[in-house]
Amino acid sequence: MSSPLEQKMLVTFWGTRGSISTPGRTTEKYGGNTPCVTIENQGTRVILDAGTGIRNLGIELVREVESRKQPLQIHLFLSHTHWDHIQGLPFFLPAYQKDTKLTIYGSPKKESFLASVLKHQMDYDYFPVSMSALTANIHIQEMSGKSIHLGPFTIDWEEQVFHPGGSVRYRFSAHGKKVVYATDVELDLVFGKDNRTKEKEAAARAYLRFVHGVDLLIADGMFSEEGYPGRVGWGHASIPAVIEAAAKAEVKQLAVFHHDPQNSDKYLDDLWAKYRSRYLAGPQKMDLFWAREGLTLAV
Amino acid sequence: MSKKVENLRDRNHFDTTEEIPKGQFADIVPLSQRAYLEITGSKERDGIFELGEREAVIGRSEECDIQLGAQNVSRRHAAVLFRQEEYLIEDLGSTNGVLVNGIKVVKCVLRNNDQIDIGGVKLVFNEDKRLHKK
Repeated sequence: MSSPLEQKMLVTFWGTRGSISTPGRTTEKYGGNTPCVTIENQGTRVILDAGTGIRNLGIELVREVESRKQPLQIHLFLSHTHWDHIQGLPFFLPAYQKDTKLTIYGSPKKESFLASVLKHQMDYDYFPVSMSALTANIHIQEMSGKSIHLGPFTIDWEEQVFHPGGSVRYRFSAHGKKVVYATDVELDLVFGKDNRTKEKEAAARAYLRFVHGVDLLIADGMFSEEGYPGRVGWGHASIPAVIEAAAKAEVKQLAVFHHDPQNSDKYLDDLWAKYRSRYLAGPQKMDLFWAREGLTLAV
Repeated sequence: MSKKVENLRDRNHFDTTEEIPKGQFADIVPLSQRAYLEITGSKERDGIFELGEREAVIGRSEECDIQLGAQNVSRRHAAVLFRQEEYLIEDLGSTNGVLVNGIKVVKCVLRNNDQIDIGGVKLVFNEDKRLHKK
């Protein structure tokens, strides 16, 4: 008889901060590491983004290998290749283990190929160790086709355009449940009432279709309502914009993610109290929380 | 200028200060890390439980390190673990789950003032790190 958790996707946050890591006393609750999330079910684990949070994950995985004596099979899905989403990769210990099999998935639409972007990050001018020192069996795969099947997961993906250089959102389905990872997209422009264009209308429809009714949406909500007007066009959403879009799409649980480096724990707590009570009292009863490092939940 | 400062200057206090050898600045004093779970706002008896570095199991069973009598608490409901100098709480497969700040978690690293719900019993987590002489 299988345990109840075997039928659940375990989602763990290893890094939740946007743009740049923010260590220190005022960010220890929600965390200072840049994006990295894992989703795990029945022995298959996928990693979303390789921000600085992937370093701690790597340490944990190496411990796991030592106790289980089984080589790692890792699937890393990149939303895009901006620094905060790839800069942990050179510090990801399993990548230096020759028995590790690491597949890195990313957008086929990059102007230069994904492999060369990752390789250049480890050029000698930026980092003393070259990518060739990563002794794991690494396969870099630009995605094609609609869905990817890995163990119990069906993984769908779509390009997002309202972010400089673009980004990819992913939907993971298993056992009748769905988790979407959709970071780095400026939903205020997608859904805002001003200057509606066909492109915006199409982007809004596509977004709502992709996230409709999902059990957990992990979404960029970088800026506060007050902070957003000075950052229009930066490619990130305001918290009210992501909450409204998620509520419209009848999302069951929303994890606000990619926190502004300026936002302290206290500030995020205050925002959470303000918005959570509003939505718990509302007709949709969408659950809402701020993603924090070291949190694992079951979907 | 305050009176206290004037007095110090009158006595030419700083001229008499001697330099302290550098080695005396840093005594080797171990850091102790302690954490507490405090029951708040429930019918359960009040109490503060100190957490050490050993796993602490929370539940209704008499064998638990932290015993909670409430009906909706499972016999072995949750455990608080100390890993890599951090405390974390883990659901042990309970019926009603473990909530941290209102979110149902499987596992969660704990931070000061986190509010935990175990079968309707509310607890607050706090830790301190202080130097102590052996």
